Amino acid sequence: MRHVTIQESQVNKPLTEPVLLILMSLADRPRHGYALLKDIEKLSGGRIRMSTGTLFGALKRLLDDGWIERFELEDTSRQKQAYRLTGLGRKQLQIELERMKQLTRAGFARLKTVEAM
Amino acid sequence: MRRAYQFFLLLYPREHRDQFADEMMRVFEEVSAERRAQGTGWFVRFAFGEMQGLIAGAAGAWIDRDRAHPVPAANPSHGGLPQDIADAQQRVDLSVAGMVHAIANHQFERARLLSDEEREAREQLRILREKYGMNC
Repeated sequence: MRHVTIQESQVNKPLTEPVLLILMSLADRPRHGYALLKDIEKLSGGRIRMSTGTLFGALKRLLDDGWIERFELEDTSRQKQAYRLTGLGRKQLQIELERMKQLTRAGFARLKTVEAM
Repeated sequence: MRRAYQFFLLLYPREHRDQFADEMMRVFEEVSAERRAQGTGWFVRFAFGEMQGLIAGAAGAWIDRDRAHPVPAANPSHGGLPQDIADAQQRVDLSVAGMVHAIANHQFERARLLSDEEREAREQLRILREKYGMNC
């Protein structure tokens, strides 16, 4: 019951930056922990170097909420566990990106209004 | 550095450690090697950030864990929560709150003691819930 309540309450709640970046990183393909950290650094233009504590705290919450899933990698690399987006996680990412797009548009519209005056 | 990391991992709830500790350690070692190669300044900054992240992460994990295992609502026909269950729940809540406070104030030995206390209190709560048929 709690599980459902959390998901419903999070539908319109802005995502935290670590969560948003993790979802974005997993949007094109599954990644393991180290690859996630590297990709997040790249996605943020080097601005964000997430610590392992922050990364795995966010991963646990996303797993508990069913937004991502964990699976065993078949190759022999050192990183055995990888993560991928679920349908629900993809939907949440789309909702958040739409929200940001709408906000960005509104922000630029306000700027233009002031410049035109 | 590896030892310090392992020590800080002990501040996390057992379920979190069982699920992620090995993986966290592997990722930490890979990033650690990379930062060390970039120079001492990079490595010190990285190490400091990691320790901060672990402390905040451990406090967050305890809070999440507490929220994930609330006491089930009392059956109205029981006329509210039995006193011994309410007391046991309060002990769990106090231990978690104390632990979060201890972690936030870098009192790690105290946090570990409170972690043991929390485990005992939670077990006591489980037994009482069973006694009152509240485990569903």
